[in-house]
Amino acid sequence: MREQSPQPNRAFSARTQGHFRWAQISTLIRTFSCFFKPKITCKVLTHKIDIMTQSELAQELKKCVKCGACMAVCPIYRQTGREEMVARGKLNLIEIISRNQELPDAWIEAVDNCLLCCSCEENCSKGVKITEIIAAARIRQTAAQGLNPLKKGAFALLKNRILSIARFIKLGSLLQWLLWRRLPRHSGLIRRLPLPGTDEKTVIPILPRRNLDDILKKRKPDPDLPPVLFFPGCATRYLQPQMGLDLIYVLEKLGFNAVVPAEFKCCGMVTWGAGDAVSNLKLKASNLKVFAANAAIKTVVTGCASCGHALKEYDNLPPESEILDISEFLFRHREKLEKLLKGRQSRKKITYHDPCHLRKGQGITKEPRWLLKLIAGENFVEMSHPERCCGAGGTFGLTHKELSRKILKEKTDAADATGAEIVTSGCPGCILQLTEGAVVADSKWLTKHPLSLLAGLLRSRN
Amino acid sequence: MTELSSILRREMALKLLKSGFIPEQVVATEAALSCYGYDATRQQTEPLLALLPDNEKQLKTILKIAGEKSLKIFPRGAGSGMSGGSIPAEDGIIVSLTRMKQILEIDEDNMIATVEPGVITGELQEAVSRRGLFYPPDPASLAFSTIGGNVTENAGGPRAVKYGVTGNFVMGLEAYLVNGEKIKCGNKCIKSVSGYDLTSLLVGSEGTLAIISKILLKLLPAPETVKTSLLAFSSMTAAAQAVNAMFKQQINPSTIEFLDQHSINAVRPALPFTLPKAADTVLLVEIDGPEATVKTQAEKLNRLFQDEALLIIDAENETEREKLWQARRKLSPAIANIAPHKINEDIAVPLAAIPEIISRLESLSKEIDLPIVCFGHAGDGNIHVNVMLDKNDPSQAIRGHKAIDRIFTLTLELGGTLSGEHGIGNTKSAYFNKEWTPATIATMQALKKAFDPGNRLNPGKIFPLK
Ligand SMILES: Cc1cc2nc3c(=O)[nH]c(=O)nc-3n(C[C@H](O)[C@H](O)[C@H](O)COP(=O)(O)OP(=O)(O)OC[C@H]3O[C@@H](n4cnc5c(N)ncnc54)[C@H](O)[C@@H]3O)c2cc1C
Ligand code: SF4
Ligand code: SF4
Repeated sequence: MREQSPQPNRAFSARTQGHFRWAQISTLIRTFSCFFKPKITCKVLTHKIDIMTQSELAQELKKCVKCGACMAVCPIYRQTGREEMVARGKLNLIEIISRNQELPDAWIEAVDNCLLCCSCEENCSKGVKITEIIAAARIRQTAAQGLNPLKKGAFALLKNRILSIARFIKLGSLLQWLLWRRLPRHSGLIRRLPLPGTDEKTVIPILPRRNLDDILKKRKPDPDLPPVLFFPGCATRYLQPQMGLDLIYVLEKLGFNAVVPAEFKCCGMVTWGAGDAVSNLKLKASNLKVFAANAAIKTVVTGCASCGHALKEYDNLPPESEILDISEFLFRHREKLEKLLKGRQSRKKITYHDPCHLRKGQGITKEPRWLLKLIAGENFVEMSHPERCCGAGGTFGLTHKELSRKILKEKTDAADATGAEIVTSGCPGCILQLTEGAVVADSKWLTKHPLSLLAGLLRSRN
Repeated sequence: MTELSSILRREMALKLLKSGFIPEQVVATEAALSCYGYDATRQQTEPLLALLPDNEKQLKTILKIAGEKSLKIFPRGAGSGMSGGSIPAEDGIIVSLTRMKQILEIDEDNMIATVEPGVITGELQEAVSRRGLFYPPDPASLAFSTIGGNVTENAGGPRAVKYGVTGNFVMGLEAYLVNGEKIKCGNKCIKSVSGYDLTSLLVGSEGTLAIISKILLKLLPAPETVKTSLLAFSSMTAAAQAVNAMFKQQINPSTIEFLDQHSINAVRPALPFTLPKAADTVLLVEIDGPEATVKTQAEKLNRLFQDEALLIIDAENETEREKLWQARRKLSPAIANIAPHKINEDIAVPLAAIPEIISRLESLSKEIDLPIVCFGHAGDGNIHVNVMLDKNDPSQAIRGHKAIDRIFTLTLELGGTLSGEHGIGNTKSAYFNKEWTPATIATMQALKKAFDPGNRLNPGKIFPLK
């Protein structure tokens, strides 16, 4: 049997013990910025709380014993068969290219070809903090070469108050119909004309005219209900506000008042993944202020796997405050929820894809399945390898279309094989990717967040 | 890297790209090549070039082009080898088979699977199990090692005690000689006596005779159920007698793993159940087969050892089974707490010699003053011997090295062998002539010469360097 067996949650628990902190990233920038054009301002660098030094990074790299167990799970390796693409090879490259050497193409390609899906980390018996190392490498690369201009622009929107992401999307919502048209079955758009970086199967989300904040302006929350802080995340806020409304509705039904501060910014995950440590730190700092201002509310929920993963890694959250994925929150209130549902169930056949940032990032597998069994009973079926990444990986799907599609194909095949009518996932990023998968494969199923299904059931009269 | 070799590298890469290889199949830059110069032994070298053929035709092209320059070839599977088999120990080309990973056929009528060498063992198992079939060999690396690597290392796992090792399932092979010619051996027939059995010769050949391009594997009907039990004994001798008694009483376990006292002490805190203080040896026993048979055999096992065993735990369901297996799965990380490094050998001895070798290793451990932790496959005599040490301490390093020498001597004295499953590679070749007589080695070398007269395929492996 396996000597180096996968041990779910071990890597995860190590992560939640607090490494991977933004402060460490700041230290990393410091270490790397000594050797590259120091583009980073000193103001950011003062956020030092915990220190990961160059020697600690070297120590972390040494922990890898080159057993190869990461090969069993890496989606990129699975498609390419190339050793440079698996964690073992990436770590090898990061280790051998010393810090004052120029970055060779192979190094950049390897570091670039990563979904930050944490699969390797979950499977590594040595507990090597692989994604942290890769993120550090990306910071090094960004420090050396600067950020891709498109990403730079996008991240500026995340931070900027005047030219904000909200305004940008509103503008887009007016213009989108010129270039894109609505998908017949799914929620999403496909192009009308050839556009750079897309093909005829590329699905983008519909940009709504009114974002979650706009809609919530008219809301009259019940101040007597116990409050819960809701971190919607960018996708929910600007692209799928209905999901946010669903979540607020479910919380209300359970007797909680969702508090949704409009000051929340992006959780920082995409900037971290892109090696833009400065933006990452700024976003985190803004969010921490909001958390501090709402410190009286101890419970924070989110419906986005990536946001949850990112927030759980924040240092300096107010004492006792607790970040929960919505499925964890619902599981805690399961008795009440079961009563509310009064045995109502969906009659549709439903399957589930584990978002990497939920399963491998936060160790959550049980709660979403409990929820789906509650929603669909016997009609909930597992797909084969629900744990395999869908290939979205933040912006990976956009920058590495072909590879991402190959990874996605295996996922849609697995979903097809179940005969399900609805494929669920607890992450807006996965949902969008799966929708594209359904379009590419011409599959009949729809994609949904489990929470939206729940809200639908709660709204329905018997 | 000399200038000459970098010119050669460029020339070769261009030729291959012209003959239909795509860039991602041709690894030709120094940094990337460093990723093809290691395996699980953590040796670090760099090949001249690493090539990843997608099919036989491309494999043949590589051999042809390399042949023109008389370049050396090093086959590589997943690079999970534990004896340095795939290490490009000299200037040469890595041929990585990871992209030749099609399951070509699952012939349910003949119960035979035909696969390419890069198929991951675990994926084959999954694919055949969907059809109610079973491919039993289960090396611990099955989730990532390739069938090709398993065949050439003759990999084995816990199930070897009942089902045998990889070689017992290889019905036939197709392979390329280093000169680009293809040989075929074996077939789908259960009985076949037609000339020399080249299939068996290639099994365990560690990539030194030919590059395997296609493999016929025997399949079995999947067992209906598996039952797992954990038994603790007060001494290794008692445990060994128990193993013997099982066979004599016609209990036919599919797995009998053992942990020695040091392993037990190391893993104890990580276990979700308690092991008695007096436990000196733990056996993890699995019985598989039809429901009714498994039930009676498991009852018999309990009856047989209810007095001798300090403890018997039966797993009643999958969760409990997984709990018992933690004793084995948590072991590697647990023993890492004993010392920062380990030297790990996978000797094998005849079954009856297990208590003797364990007790001799115990004395050796005292003598060299380093912990020696043993665990492994009690059903087939394959023992993982781990000498625990801190390699940064020169005195420990020397003693560790001495210990390995002594371990091999002890093993051979008891009629054992240098390697039960990991192979000789380049890490054990220095000890090879301890096990075999000069005439035996000369015969093996003559065979090698018949396949590869120029010594171009995986040189520097198995045989001691002169
Ligand atoms: C964590 C871990 C656990 C392990 N557990 C076990 C175990 O329980 N049992 C066991 O037996 N082994 C075990 N191993 C060792 C290793 O996994 C096996 O030896 C495995 O068979 C190697 O397969 P590979 O694909 O990695 O081959 P590689 O390591 O790449 O190569 C091994 C040898 O095969 C040759 N080779 C590979 N493919 C071909 C081909 N197509 N044609 C010709 N030659 C080829 C190479 O040249 C080399 O000599 C373990 C290793 C690790 C890291
Ligand atoms: S990263 Fe972990 S799993 Fe991968 S080779 Fe290194 S130790 Fe093994
Ligand atoms: S994070 Fe995912 S994509 Fe990146 S190396 Fe690990 S397994 Fe591969």
